[in-house]
Amino acid sequence: MGRYIIRRLLQAIPLMILLSIFLFTLIHLMPGGPEGVLFNPRLSAAGRAALRANFGLDDPPWLQYFKWVGRMLVGDFGTSFTTYQPVSGIIAARFPATLELFGFSLFLALIVAIALGMISAVRHATLTDYLVTTLSYFGLSMPIFLLGLLAQDIFGVQLHILPTSGTSTPGYVFDPFNAFLDHFLHLLLPMLVLSITFIAGWSRYMRSSMLDVIKQDYMRTARAKGVPFVRILIQHGLRNALIPLITVVAIDFGAVAGGAAVTEGVFAWPGMGLLFIESLDARDYPVLMAMLVLGAVFVIAFNLIADILYAVMDPRIRYS
Amino acid sequence: MDVPHRLNVTNVPEEEIEPFLDVTPELVQKRRSQGRIIFDRFIRHRAAIAGGIFLIVMFLFCFAGPLFWRIDPDLIPDNVITARFTPPDLAHPFGTDSVARDELARAIAGGKVSLLVALTSMAGAILLGIGIGSFAGFYGGILDNLLMRFTDVFLAVPLYLLLFVLSATFTDGSPASVVILIAIFGWTYAARLVRGEFLALRDREYVLAARTIGAKNLSLMFRHILPNAAGPIIVNATLLVGANVILESIMSFFGFGIKAPNPSWGNMVADGQGYFDRAPWLVFVPALLIFFTVLSFNLVGDGLRDALDPYMTER
Amino acid sequence: MGEYLLEVRDLKTYFKVKAGRVRAVDGVSFAIKPGEKVGIVGESGCGKSVTALSLMRLVEQPPGEYAGGSILFDGQDLLELPESAMRKIRGGKIGMIFQDPMTCLNPTMTVGKQIAEGLKIHLKLSDGQAKKRAIALLEQVGIPAAAERANSYPHQFSGGMRQRVMIAIALACNPKLLIADEPTTALDVTVQAQILELINGVCNEFGTAVILITHDLGVVAGMADRVVVMYAGKVVETAPTDELFANPRHPYTLGLLASVPRLDEARESELKTIEGAPPDLLKPPPGCPFMPRCAFARAICRTMPPLDPLAGKATHFKACWVDVTDPKEQAYAEKRRQVRAEAMKAAIKASTEATLQQTS
Repeated sequence: MGRYIIRRLLQAIPLMILLSIFLFTLIHLMPGGPEGVLFNPRLSAAGRAALRANFGLDDPPWLQYFKWVGRMLVGDFGTSFTTYQPVSGIIAARFPATLELFGFSLFLALIVAIALGMISAVRHATLTDYLVTTLSYFGLSMPIFLLGLLAQDIFGVQLHILPTSGTSTPGYVFDPFNAFLDHFLHLLLPMLVLSITFIAGWSRYMRSSMLDVIKQDYMRTARAKGVPFVRILIQHGLRNALIPLITVVAIDFGAVAGGAAVTEGVFAWPGMGLLFIESLDARDYPVLMAMLVLGAVFVIAFNLIADILYAVMDPRIRYS
Repeated sequence: MDVPHRLNVTNVPEEEIEPFLDVTPELVQKRRSQGRIIFDRFIRHRAAIAGGIFLIVMFLFCFAGPLFWRIDPDLIPDNVITARFTPPDLAHPFGTDSVARDELARAIAGGKVSLLVALTSMAGAILLGIGIGSFAGFYGGILDNLLMRFTDVFLAVPLYLLLFVLSATFTDGSPASVVILIAIFGWTYAARLVRGEFLALRDREYVLAARTIGAKNLSLMFRHILPNAAGPIIVNATLLVGANVILESIMSFFGFGIKAPNPSWGNMVADGQGYFDRAPWLVFVPALLIFFTVLSFNLVGDGLRDALDPYMTER
Repeated sequence: MGEYLLEVRDLKTYFKVKAGRVRAVDGVSFAIKPGEKVGIVGESGCGKSVTALSLMRLVEQPPGEYAGGSILFDGQDLLELPESAMRKIRGGKIGMIFQDPMTCLNPTMTVGKQIAEGLKIHLKLSDGQAKKRAIALLEQVGIPAAAERANSYPHQFSGGMRQRVMIAIALACNPKLLIADEPTTALDVTVQAQILELINGVCNEFGTAVILITHDLGVVAGMADRVVVMYAGKVVETAPTDELFANPRHPYTLGLLASVPRLDEARESELKTIEGAPPDLLKPPPGCPFMPRCAFARAICRTMPPLDPLAGKATHFKACWVDVTDPKEQAYAEKRRQVRAEAMKAAIKASTEATLQQTS
């Protein structure tokens, strides 16, 4: 199994290299070329010349590429056009908020999706099944921003019970307990909206995976052994049904870098996604490019995690 | 028990030989054609039918609609101040927006744009996907490896982020540019799918048979294998349209896709968002249209998947 | 209680489908003494597997339903038991092995754990005790290095080994009855013999009764004390093995035995088949289900014959009006076969001509 992991890691490296080349080419294709992307538009001519030398923009492309990669590897992503701060610092500051939002959503969505998928599969073709399937269809067909808008409207504006943006109510200073509560209430809406988006897809996948597993012969063997229903469901059913689901979850989660932008945008949640939108409006390219690179790394990393999880969970892969 | 166990044969005349019940072999059996079987299975899916009907209605609405509903979507009347934000009534079934334009006409125009964008980008993506996937799957080996690494790169980049950046930089808010952008990144799943199908099908016997009568590679790929791989491709294409509608609407909502003056359901939601208290219909009309259209595409796509899957038993 | 371990009386298992009810098992009766080995033979679709599943009440309730009859096991009617009691019997008193060992074992659980599962549930053993017993069972079924192999997963075993594991699972709690549903069909011929020997040996040692379901007469000949022949959901003949092979009395049994190629036959002779196809179990014809294909058929066969013992042989039963040993019946049957062969030829000719007409 160690060999499997190493092999997958090695496969990921050429991908990263190709990806970096892709993004590098992108920078050079942007209007204004790398200067448009890297240089602050308000620079004076002298400043430009100095930066050109600094960045080696008169070097041949392949040298520029290596220097760029080199800089990234040490964490130097350039300086923001708008705040003149190092990009890496800006992104790092926004990271915890995104982690919080996505971490909790993932956790909630996973539990609910597995439960719904199982119930739906076991109560196949009954009212419960149709209900769950219909709801997941709805969830899949609704773009996140619509769901978010609806949620904001119903809970924030109409019912007035939940805050609709930001992480805390401005202008108030709470004692620790109330601050925690306030923060939690602010987290609730975006977390629920994001979870629903995950649950819609994952519960369908879980249902279909579970239905496949239920049809398998080893379920019948377990019943022929006299194993009680719940134990069969979990030890025999869930154990096998979860395998394909977990890989889908990992891959979906990795791809979520985009979803971050949308959700955080709608709810003004101060994470990396919101940073992305703000930077888009301001055409703050260093930040944008850095986020693209990080996003891609994220995707590749989670694909890797997906493969590893698959090997861990399926002994047929582990020992083959 | 008065039925005897044995019969006295000598008393049974020749003509009473009991005829065999099934003598005629069925050499020529009536079979439903492949298409008919698929159609029948599709029909059985009530939800898919509902989705299909809705889509037909939606297309008529957007493309034949202007023939019946003549109000110009861009027309700003003179009495703007008083006419704006009127709730739905007989004159304006969907109400009017912030500059007193007729919302129904805008919905039709926006629908036309959104649907066309989604469809053309799907067509582009599928064509690209078939092109790349078929060669990768058919030839295998190094070509396959190269093409798949290439696909992986596209898959690895976070879709929304890249689309946002690219559309902010390159596009001018016109539908055409959005179509190209979405298509450029939408082909990856189709390519994987097609590649998988081609890999599986190229070793089938009928391909071998065609080869022995001298069929060339291109002909093999597109006249023999592709039609058999058509099922999953069609399903993917249908679902892709729905996904593209969502994608376009998200982009337009954030101001990076289709921009004014071109209407699209996405930017209509964005426009209406600011006036939600006063005129909620400005958000609900395009939102519901997006939702039901995507839902219908999903239902039809799933119905097609069930109908085309040869291994499905009654579910 | 009586002398029988298992008494099946007029068992009926039907399946509800859109078009009606499929009568998969339509009035099956047989009995098994403790330690006895009974083979159930018949072609695919005759209902033998459904009978086995019905004994364990493993048939999916919709669309299946137990439409009648009783299954008396150890004095209780299994069809009347509540599910919780039935669960104790499954694995505890009756064990079952299935046809395809690859798909019948949970791929994500070690073999040892799968054996131990039953032990913990029925015999209430602790983890440690169960593991020890599982290893002992693996040794008993002939798996080398049992202690290490207990921690292996099913895909790491060969087909024959997997079936041995299945046997270990089924016999773990020392059941009184083992039901083996086509245990060797998915295996190589050489392995088949080993598995059958294993089943034979272990069941002899523990006095376990066996129901062996198969379509292979050879398997039955080697192992069973008695044979039950099924057709279209009904029992058509049953007798001790030697007696059945020496003295078959039902036309279907005759057909089955005749269709097995023999070593002492002339090589160029045609393979014998039973003409026709099994009936539609949705709308079975009234009377004897074999009638459409039976050369001996008479008008009276439109009424279902009862399963009655032969005159003078109390252990040999058949469900047939005709005495196939009577030379006059045989002549009649021969004549019918000829008539049918002629009719078939004529029909094929007519059909071919019709097709040629269509295409030209």
